Amino acid sequence: MFATSRTAKLMLHIANLMVIAFILLPLVAVLIGSIQSEKALQADTRRVLPLEFTLDNFTVILTKGEQKGRIFEQVTYLPDNIKNFYTAFLNSAIVAGSVTFLTLLFGSLSAYTIARQRFRWTLFLLQANIVARFVPVIVLMIPLYVVMRSVGQLNSLSGVIIAETGFLLPYAILILAPYFDTIPAELEEAARIDGCSRFSAFVHIVLPLATPALAACGVIMFIISWHELLIPLILNARPNVMTLPVVIASLVGDVHVFFNLMMAICLLALAPTVILVALLQKYIVEGLSAGAVKG
Amino acid sequence: MSAGSFAFFMNVPTLFFLGLVLAYPVIYAAYLSVHQVGLAQLRRGVFTFNGWDNYSRVLEDPLFWIAIKNTSIFTAITVGSEVVLAVLIALLLNQTGIWTSRITRFLILLPYAIPPIANGLIWSFLYSFQFGFLNRILFSLGLIDDPINWAGNPDTALYAVTVPYIWRTLPFAIILVHAALQGIPRELYEAAAVDGARAWHRFWHITLPLLRPIIAIILVLRTAFAFAVFEEILAITQGGPGDATWVAAWYSYKITFSPPNNFGMGSASAFILTLMIGIIALVYMRMVYRRVTL
Repeated sequence: MFATSRTAKLMLHIANLMVIAFILLPLVAVLIGSIQSEKALQADTRRVLPLEFTLDNFTVILTKGEQKGRIFEQVTYLPDNIKNFYTAFLNSAIVAGSVTFLTLLFGSLSAYTIARQRFRWTLFLLQANIVARFVPVIVLMIPLYVVMRSVGQLNSLSGVIIAETGFLLPYAILILAPYFDTIPAELEEAARIDGCSRFSAFVHIVLPLATPALAACGVIMFIISWHELLIPLILNARPNVMTLPVVIASLVGDVHVFFNLMMAICLLALAPTVILVALLQKYIVEGLSAGAVKG
Repeated sequence: MSAGSFAFFMNVPTLFFLGLVLAYPVIYAAYLSVHQVGLAQLRRGVFTFNGWDNYSRVLEDPLFWIAIKNTSIFTAITVGSEVVLAVLIALLLNQTGIWTSRITRFLILLPYAIPPIANGLIWSFLYSFQFGFLNRILFSLGLIDDPINWAGNPDTALYAVTVPYIWRTLPFAIILVHAALQGIPRELYEAAAVDGARAWHRFWHITLPLLRPIIAIILVLRTAFAFAVFEEILAITQGGPGDATWVAAWYSYKITFSPPNNFGMGSASAFILTLMIGIIALVYMRMVYRRVTL
C-alpha cells in the first residue's frame, strides 16, 4: 500500500514537471532568443544557451534605434516599426484601457437589466449576445473597414476602440450578467422604498457590490483587447496609430529582422498582460468560468 | 420611469454598438457576398449584383476545400487534445498533497497572457529549421542528429501549428474543468472508497459523468474558436508550405487582401465560415442557457 502510493506520488511529480516544462518552453525560448545577437544564433545552431548575453536588442528598440549597441553596429537598416515601439505601446495601452472602460460601463448597464428585468426582449438580447460572441472577426473585416471609412474613423485609435468595444461587449455582458443575478434584489427594493431612483439604486447599491465581477471582467477585456490583431490591422495602416500586435505582425517575413530582435519585441509586448495575469489570476479564473457556464 | 423604459435606456449603448459593429457589418458582409466587389468597385462604391456567383466560385475552388479540410483536421486535433489534457491536468492540479501541483497551478494561466501573434512568432523561432530553439534542445539532449523541419515540411506542418494553438488556449479549458471538479461533493468519493472502489473506477463512474456537461461546453466553445484560427497560421507558416496549412480564415484573408482583391469572394467564404460557426453557437446556447426561452 505504502509502496504504491510512493510510486503514485512520483508519477504525479513527473507529470507536473512535464506540464511545467510545456508551459515554460515558449517562455524560455523568447527569453533566451531575446538576449543574444544574430551572430550568436547563427554561429552555433546546436547550442541552447549562447556563449555571451547582451541587452542590445532591448536597447535598440527602447531607444528608437538611436543607440545601436555592439550587435547592431554594422546594421544600416532597421524597420520603422521597430523604432515606433513607444508609439505602438502607448496606442495599445490607450486602446486596451478605453475598451476595458467602455465594455465595463455599457456591459454592466446591459448585464444588470438582463439579470433583473425579465422581459421577453431582454432574454432575446441575452441570446443575441451569446450568438454574437461567436462572430469571427474575419467576416467583419471588409464591412468594418467600409463602415469606419464612411464615418471617417480609419487610421484612428477611436475607430479601433469603437470596433473592439462592440466586438467585446457581448462577452463582457455574459461575464457580468450571472454575477448581477447573485446580488439579492431586496437591497435595491429597500433603496427604492426610501425614494432612490432605479438608476441611482443601480449605481450606489449594485455596482459597489459587483466590484469583484467588474475586476474579473475588466482584466479579461484588457487582455483580449491588448491581444487583438485583425481589427487594428484592417482599420489602421499608418505607423502613428498602429498597436503592438500590428507591429509584431509586420515583422513576419521581414528579412531585415532576425529572431533575436523579434523575440525581444515579443517579450516587451507580452510583459504587461503576463504581469496582469500573475497579479490578478484569481479574478481571471472567476471571470472565465462565469462567462462560459452560467447564464 | 417604468421598468420597461428604464431597461430600454440602460441598453441603448449596447444596442448601438451591437448594431454598428456586429449586426450591420454581418448583414453588409452578406450583401457584399452576392455582389461583384473588387478594389475598383470598392473605391467607386458601386457593386453589381451577381447572385450566387461568389459562392459557386468559392465552392468550386479546390483551395477552399483544402482549407476546409485543414481547418477540420486542425480543429479535431486541437479540441480533442485539449479536452483530454484539460481533464488530466485539472485532476493533477487537484492533488493537494503534491507540492509540485502548486507550482503548476501558479503557472497554468500564463499562456492566456501571451498575445496570439507573439505566440506565433515565438513558435516560429522554436520551429525554425536552421536556428530553431526546439532543434537546439533536442541536439543538446542528444535526441536528434539532424535538424527537423517542423513547420516547413508539408507532411508535418499542419500538426506543428496545432501545438502553439493548444498551448495558448489550453488554460481556458483547464480552468473550466478545475472549477467543475471543485463542485463535486467529497461525500461521493468517500462513499465510493468505503465500497472499495479503486481510483480508476472512481474516476470512470463518478468524476467523468459529473464532468460531462463542462466537457460538452469546452468541446463546443473550442470548436467554434478553433474554426477561426488565424494568428498562429499568419506568424508560423502563412498557409505554407504550399497549401499545407491553409485554413478557412486564412483563405478569406488571402482572397480579400492579396491581389486581385476579390472582396465579394472573400465575403462569401467568410460568410460560409460564419454560418458553420453560427450553427455551433446555437448548439452552445441550447446547452448552456437552456433555461432561457423565448
